[in-house]
Amino acid sequence: MATDFWASSHYKRWITDRATLKQARAEDLQYVDDPEHLEFLDIYFANAIAKLGRKLQLRQRAIATATVFFRRFYLKNAYCETDPFLVIAACCYVAAKAEESPVHIKNVVTESRTLFSQHYNVKNFPSDNSKLGEMEFYLVDDLECDLTVFHPYRTLMALCKKESSTDEDDETEAGEVGVGISADEGQRYWGSSEDKLEMSEAALQMAWHIINDTYRGSLCLLYPPHLIAIAAIYLTQVFHRPSRDNLSTLLQPPSSTAPHPRRSSRNAAESKKHQDPVTFLAELNVSLPLIATISQEIIALYALWDRYKDDSLPDTSSSSRQSPLSATGGCASRSRSGGTPQSEAADDHRVTPAFLSNLLMKMRENRLTDLAHPPTGRPVAVNKMLERTQAAG
Amino acid sequence: MDAVERANVERQKRWVKDQKVGEGTYAVVYRGREASTGRKVAIKKIKVGQFKDGLDMSAVREVKYLRELKHQNVIELLDVFSSKTNLNLVLEFLDSDLEMIIKDRSLVFLPADIKSWMAMTFRGLEFCHRNFVLHRDLKPNNLLIASDGQLKIADFGLARDFADPGYKMTCQVITRWYRPPELLFGCRYYGTAVDIWSVGCIFAELMLRTPYLAGESDMDQLKTIFRALGTPTEQDWPGHTKLPDYITVGQFPKTPLRDLFTAASPDALNLLSKCLIYEPRRRISAKDALHHQYFFAQPHPSYPSKLPKCATQLATAQPLEEVDANVDMESTVAGGKGGPIKARPKRKLNSPYDDSKSRSIARRLDFTQPIPGS
Repeated sequence: MATDFWASSHYKRWITDRATLKQARAEDLQYVDDPEHLEFLDIYFANAIAKLGRKLQLRQRAIATATVFFRRFYLKNAYCETDPFLVIAACCYVAAKAEESPVHIKNVVTESRTLFSQHYNVKNFPSDNSKLGEMEFYLVDDLECDLTVFHPYRTLMALCKKESSTDEDDETEAGEVGVGISADEGQRYWGSSEDKLEMSEAALQMAWHIINDTYRGSLCLLYPPHLIAIAAIYLTQVFHRPSRDNLSTLLQPPSSTAPHPRRSSRNAAESKKHQDPVTFLAELNVSLPLIATISQEIIALYALWDRYKDDSLPDTSSSSRQSPLSATGGCASRSRSGGTPQSEAADDHRVTPAFLSNLLMKMRENRLTDLAHPPTGRPVAVNKMLERTQAAG
Repeated sequence: MDAVERANVERQKRWVKDQKVGEGTYAVVYRGREASTGRKVAIKKIKVGQFKDGLDMSAVREVKYLRELKHQNVIELLDVFSSKTNLNLVLEFLDSDLEMIIKDRSLVFLPADIKSWMAMTFRGLEFCHRNFVLHRDLKPNNLLIASDGQLKIADFGLARDFADPGYKMTCQVITRWYRPPELLFGCRYYGTAVDIWSVGCIFAELMLRTPYLAGESDMDQLKTIFRALGTPTEQDWPGHTKLPDYITVGQFPKTPLRDLFTAASPDALNLLSKCLIYEPRRRISAKDALHHQYFFAQPHPSYPSKLPKCATQLATAQPLEEVDANVDMESTVAGGKGGPIKARPKRKLNSPYDDSKSRSIARRLDFTQPIPGS
């Protein structure tokens, strides 16, 4: 992340609305029975990106960037017209470079081939670097070279701090002699610890995980990241049991005007000014109704996700989430063979990755058939890349 | 053809590519113009080749930051379009760079000229730093000069944003002569101060008309720095002996800057010394530098259009190519450069100094060119 968000390409060109999202999926919509399946695909792809990212040992921020690249690419393209798995590999590859942790192209190809053939039934992932290189080119082109992506993580770290962590602690962690970033710059970048909201480590973890989870949907295309971060903080206050208990004691006497005496003894040990979450959220200069809307959308995403049965459930962050909405789990279908539409039907409304892999394949097949036999009766070039090359040439 | 492709074709038509003017590791630079207005531009074609190795990291960085940064003193990326299998960056056309001007012995710099260039450099750099971008390759060669005299920071091929706390960065950045001592000592956590050191070296070079701290190797660079500024003590720079690649290169006494910079004003020397403070945290920031007394004292900075220009900038018959930072100018520089990190192919230039007929004029003011913007 760099530059001023309000002057950034992210804000100016890549915050979009639901109508645009819907329009972007119009093509795909013709090839699915249930529009909801497209939303499941959002989760499915985000999971695939996260998995590949972890294989490549990317940091969370690079994974998030890759996911945003993927979503932006599919604002302009259709799933059925492209190879989403090649796009995923390209997104991870470019995001790794954009986030200053480059990975070798060969590495990306190898890991992608292994992962996608094992878990996504993709047998035709190209083994040759140049295909990924070519995809990277189309990706960067469709991203209009806007490679700077803002994420909620930094807002979270700027607004909140771990309980009882002091500035000095952070300083020694940032480590080593000769840190060249002055206190002044650091404060502008990461915020000062003065008025940060204190959260327990677990609560902070949860907020972080909620932010991770938002990438399973389209929120990153719809809302500025700082608002998503605030929504995550808000949800954490509600879902995180100890935080909620704190909150309810805080809120019980409606007459409480000064939160200071009501601070828990744990916090009282410190002399610095503390924020209670309610005042803290109220004092942020953001639209709280909008935060509520975003929170609702996050919850809706969890509701959807609950019906998505990942093959590696403990892997998802839902296990660390104590929210009442967290996936019930237990029925993780580790075997890929059983994951057919039949088993999906049996398991009322549950959608499995295997089902979506099949769906994706069918979408692309049907699309190709349609292309080969268009209503006009004139066959059309099916290779989109080739077509574009010809157009540009 | 879908909407995306149509938009690209449209963008492509907007620009006309003329002759090739240079070549770097990952890009070929062409002179070009805007079809509708005839405005001169530089078109940098990023080679994707056979897609074997993907996009060059420098290309990714350059595109990433130039897409975001818009400032009078930062080179402007006007447009991006693709053609066949190439990405094309359309950049402002800039005819020369500060290195050419420094080397052009026919030009005389007034203190006000130096102040003007310094002000523009700090303004551009302050903008980068305000936006959390480290340039990491500042040198006269990367400070381009527009025809109206505006200085623009270019070549973001090594730029990056601030690292998260505890996240290491590479110390193999910045051309050696402009590299600060903490990087030479292998410091992996650094910030905006590294760029300030480079600017300090450029400031000195503008006054001396020759590179100030020209070391022949990394080791020699440290020695050169300490010979000029004295070996730092633990008091000057607490903790520097614990840096990863710390070595002792000998004890040198501190000599006052005044001994070398005999003609400089006290304000100028004060600012220079603050840019060259050993302890990175105490080095002046770009913002503070802009508020330094130097910029408010007489003489006031020259108006950009009145600044000395290279002969080539005046000769319309033989205009100089866009000097892109990616295209190294080493071949024209006597004695070579301080070991650039990036291995770049050299390119022959029509050297401005061979132009003997324009030598005799010491300081030229250009009234022949159209007023910029008209």
